[in-house]
Amino acid sequence: MNHANKLFIKHTSCFFAVVVFLLSCSPTRIVKPLAKGEKAVGANLGGPLITFAGAPIPIPYTSAFYARGLNNKTTAFGSVHLTALAFGVFQTDLGICRELYANQKLQLGISVNPAMQIAIDHWEGKAKFWPQLDLNVYKNWGPKKMLYAGINNWFEPSTQRAHNEAQNKQWYVNPHIGFLYSPRKWSYGIETKWVAPGVSNTPNVVDYIGINQKGAVGVYFQLIRRF
Amino acid sequence: MKHIFNFKNIGLVAFFGSNLLFSACLRLDSNLYNTSDKISEYKWDNYTGIQDFKLDASYQIQDSMQAVFRLQSKTSDNQSVKIYATYLGDMAQIATDTVILYCHGNKWHMDFYWQRAKLLAHVGQKHRYGVLMLDYQGYGLSEGKPSEEGLYNDVDAAMQWLKSKGLSNERLIIYGFSMGSAPSCELAANPRSMRVQKVILEAPFASAAVMVADGSGLALPASFVTNLKIDNAEEIKKVNQPLCWIHGTNDDFLNILTHGEVVYKNHTGSFKIAHRVQGADHSNVPISLGFENYRQLLLNFITH
Repeated sequence: MNHANKLFIKHTSCFFAVVVFLLSCSPTRIVKPLAKGEKAVGANLGGPLITFAGAPIPIPYTSAFYARGLNNKTTAFGSVHLTALAFGVFQTDLGICRELYANQKLQLGISVNPAMQIAIDHWEGKAKFWPQLDLNVYKNWGPKKMLYAGINNWFEPSTQRAHNEAQNKQWYVNPHIGFLYSPRKWSYGIETKWVAPGVSNTPNVVDYIGINQKGAVGVYFQLIRRF
Repeated sequence: MKHIFNFKNIGLVAFFGSNLLFSACLRLDSNLYNTSDKISEYKWDNYTGIQDFKLDASYQIQDSMQAVFRLQSKTSDNQSVKIYATYLGDMAQIATDTVILYCHGNKWHMDFYWQRAKLLAHVGQKHRYGVLMLDYQGYGLSEGKPSEEGLYNDVDAAMQWLKSKGLSNERLIIYGFSMGSAPSCELAANPRSMRVQKVILEAPFASAAVMVADGSGLALPASFVTNLKIDNAEEIKKVNQPLCWIHGTNDDFLNILTHGEVVYKNHTGSFKIAHRVQGADHSNVPISLGFENYRQLLLNFITH
């Protein structure tokens, strides 16, 4: 592809790029379930990396969430996607974090986060629902530090898309890895996620930093306060 | 206080509040229009900016066979606006010529598409067909800001001009490249000043909904990010005129399968022909085909 074509696509591709990454403008909400009755509120900032003025920076997408420990193994959470709201779209993800396995001796655990993404736009009142499932493995180092990794999955329930054409892909896999530091009631997290690794980022999204020209690497900062 | 906080008042406040809030919302509509290369004059053959291709001297257009002029169009809120256009051919012969109305893509201005217009002026032979090209509102030296309704108004203004020169519907062919497929489909499906005789679409997009779905991977409603109503895939269903569709198989901007094939499939008019150009991407169909072949396939369609 020649330079002229790249430039042509570079501008118009913003149309697509924002769409792709609006869907994934948040890190994993809860990796390790809260204690029964414990509550948490959190906010995150970050998104896919782009090259800006020659340096890689994350797009500052934001969302906020609330979580509550239903019991020691299950935490419910809900969120508001503030960036989507800026587009006139109310988007929330409602779900739970469920502990599947925990080894106190090794300070190791596995959790799963089934959630439903719900989005409704202000403009035409159109709604979209799609399930999401995160699978996380975490390892604590003492009470303050936690490293985790996992797979974030989106599922497209519709078999049809615009103009009654077939929706051929129903499952998107986004791997992530993160670190959470919790000195007291506050937790500070950073997560990186390979967003939409099955989607080519060239030449559509030439400004985005992906792996093997696929998807985009996202970086997210998270702040959580537990009560 | 009791009267202020009744449900009706709360509803009104919520309604107006939400409208106020969302009136400042981010939308991606303007991203469709790329007017970033600002110019102070049209340079045509002397334009040295980036172009998809440059033709050799044999394609030169004599000064006497090119006119540059302004047309009166309307903005989306019905304000008058002046837009620039150029006609390649003998303007005195418009009443008896066949004219190709070329609707260019989303980038920059007519200088960028000048080589493409010259190529069309050589279909069959030099100036066998007249070619009219315009810069939409906000493009090149045209006044105003780009908008979807503006695109339709601008192309209709060009048709009004052709009509005023004596052109009849039977000799008007519309050619839409990329974003130019939107006014081409819209005005072929819903005629205003003139009813086009034939439609040529190069690398058309299906709709804003497909653009959003292609970008997200999910079947998201277009209204999540854009207020654009462009829907060639639906409008083409109303087009009975013959259609010539040209699309590169490696189009990595407007995917041939999700965009072009859908538009082509939905056309149920009297005649249609598809040219899937192997290996071509979004911007180099004429190069991949070869200029001679490109001109010939257009000639075959026009004279069919």
